[in-house]
Amino acid sequence: MTNKANPLILIIEDDPQTRRFLKTTLCNRGWRVIEAENGKTGLSMIKSDSPDLVILDLGLPDIDGISVTQRLRQLSDLPVLILSARSQEQNKIMALDAGADDYMTKPFGSGELHARLQALLRRVTRSISSSETFETGQLKVDLVRRKVFNAGNEVHITPIEYRLLSILIRHAGLVVTQHQLLKEVWGVEHIHDPHYLRIYMGQLRHKLEVNPARPRYLLTEVGVGYRLVDDVTA
Amino acid sequence: MRNNAQHKQPESEQDHQLPAMVLSRGRRSECLLGYLWGIAAPVICTLVDWPLRHVLGTASILMTYLLGIFLVASRYGRGASMTASLLSIPVFAFFFGPPTFSFAISDIENIVGLAVMIVVANVTSNLLEKARLQAEIARQRENRTNALYRLSQALSDAQNSQAVARIAVQHIHDDFAAAAVLLFPDANNQLHYPCAEPLRQSLRGVNLAAAQRAFDQRTIERHSDPNTPIYFPLEYSQTMLGVLAIQFVTTPELSNPELTTFFDTFRNLIAQTLERLRLTEQANNASLKAETESLRNELLSAISHDLRTPLTRIIGASTALVENSDGFSEEEKLDFNKVILEEAQRTSELTSKILDMARLSSGEIILHQEWNTIEEIVGSALNRLEKNLGTRPVRTLLPDNLPLLWIDAVLIEQVLTNLIENAIKYTPAGSPIDISAELLPTALKITVSDYGLGIAQGMEEKIFDKFYRLESETQQNGVGVGLTLCRTIIETHGGTIHAVNCPEKGASFIIHLPLHEPPQINWHEGMGA
Repeated sequence: MTNKANPLILIIEDDPQTRRFLKTTLCNRGWRVIEAENGKTGLSMIKSDSPDLVILDLGLPDIDGISVTQRLRQLSDLPVLILSARSQEQNKIMALDAGADDYMTKPFGSGELHARLQALLRRVTRSISSSETFETGQLKVDLVRRKVFNAGNEVHITPIEYRLLSILIRHAGLVVTQHQLLKEVWGVEHIHDPHYLRIYMGQLRHKLEVNPARPRYLLTEVGVGYRLVDDVTA
Repeated sequence: MRNNAQHKQPESEQDHQLPAMVLSRGRRSECLLGYLWGIAAPVICTLVDWPLRHVLGTASILMTYLLGIFLVASRYGRGASMTASLLSIPVFAFFFGPPTFSFAISDIENIVGLAVMIVVANVTSNLLEKARLQAEIARQRENRTNALYRLSQALSDAQNSQAVARIAVQHIHDDFAAAAVLLFPDANNQLHYPCAEPLRQSLRGVNLAAAQRAFDQRTIERHSDPNTPIYFPLEYSQTMLGVLAIQFVTTPELSNPELTTFFDTFRNLIAQTLERLRLTEQANNASLKAETESLRNELLSAISHDLRTPLTRIIGASTALVENSDGFSEEEKLDFNKVILEEAQRTSELTSKILDMARLSSGEIILHQEWNTIEEIVGSALNRLEKNLGTRPVRTLLPDNLPLLWIDAVLIEQVLTNLIENAIKYTPAGSPIDISAELLPTALKITVSDYGLGIAQGMEEKIFDKFYRLESETQQNGVGVGLTLCRTIIETHGGTIHAVNCPEKGASFIIHLPLHEPPQINWHEGMGA
């Protein structure tokens, strides 16, 4: 957090070629990069170098990604982006539930990577500035008065719907797992009742989206959770 | 572990009581009755003749005794008739032969008469006995033929060795009054007691070591103690198929050559059936293996072709960039890089498809079913294909208030993605794609339609075959596994998927997903928590 202009990114990844690609791309964008090739080194570097963001590969040789995420969360609240292979679906969700902020499935392009990192860093600034409104595309949410506007018109939404929306706004641009949403809105006892989530998310989409079957704001990441897009161009 | 494996004997003896052997049924009581009649016949003759003793001459009285003996002989055989004739002599001598009331016979005529009577009785009973025996043998033969016929009938329906074992045990029980069990070898030629629930008639106590000896040495294993089972090897055309263990309830009559032949035929029939099943299974395995082999070869060649094509382009473009970087304009370099990117993406897509297929076709699809809305899944699939769709119009016709579906969202999304991808691949750029849903009484019907050329006549089912690809699409990549995958996923959900050509449209893929009893929703809780 020392140098706001040039955020420091820690890459924990065992494959040297992927590290090389990430480093080149990130440096090219003006970010500073430090690298760790296993979980242990990564965790100690979090303590010693206090990076602004962590990119964590799930398939590390020493400690599995879920444990790294858990230990990391005990140390710090810094944003964590997970890199997962397709075969690690379940681990990915577990890591997200353990506190990681978002994920990217390998292989990925530099544009996608950049967008994710931006969203992650925005989360940090948002939590610091605690802005009073949230805006994306035609959608505008007044966080103080708890009012939602779509294309300038106020949309009436129920308290539950608002609660859902506000959680997604808090993590705008990032994925929020189904478990997280169920737990925060309906409580731990409903963590295995995703149908609540489906119904309310459907209602919310019908109120906010032009075409709920092809949403622009409230995206579903099937099998993972939901993502509120925070950079929709109007 | 192949020592005496004693299996529990049933508790109640009743349970194990066997009916008398078919071949000697009722013989003992019959015999006893014969001797009784042998005694009764002379007595009856005496009682009948006594009042008539002054009217009839001794010769006539002798004739009535002869008649009695003859009747006994004809009905009960030699033993009974001999009893009757031997008893008739003193009775006749005592009551009728002068001097009466004495066993002495003075009249030479009566002595001759008695002698003739004995000879005649003996000869007739011998003749009758022979006829009876012949009839009995014929009856036994018929019984055996019937038994063999029934067995072969039953065996011809058997589809597996378990069924053969069941049939064999039942028939051996009925026709030999014996408890039996069939022991089959495992892959290491070790015999085991069958795991299946034993029948009432099954033999429970088996010495596996003895059975194994019979199996290994191809000899009949029998113990001197008649109360232990006999182990017969089941062999057919040099192949050892198992061991038949039999415990006869009565002492085995296998010394009787005819019975031995009968039993051997019985065994042969069983062995023959087992061999037939073994050969059928072998043939099936062979053809399955060949099929799998050819599928694998097909897949390998398809994959290597599909991977090599983009790789060739990537290597071509990148070597050009690396080796002759200065020779190209910025624009050309960008072009090369675009080629590399596109081809790499294609390779990546293909790899994940192969991965999915490997996962799904290994037969271990575990559905993670949850309540989901089709709207969400359609939305997610479209979002995933955002780039591929470009400006192509997509029309979604999903009615409001569709019920929740009990499905694996990840897999159903994959099906939709595959179908939409197909539509993109096989229809001209810019032509629309329609996705619609319709609620039927027991299913949700989902249709993905395009406005391309449609599916060639008669190919509507074939496209779901593994590796099938629409013809004449030489520049299109991707092993044709997409639709096979779709079908597997949908069918695992208990649904159906098929393709039709729609008039005025192109191809339509129609999915039916079964509806389930919707989950309970506590609205109050939903609102209040």
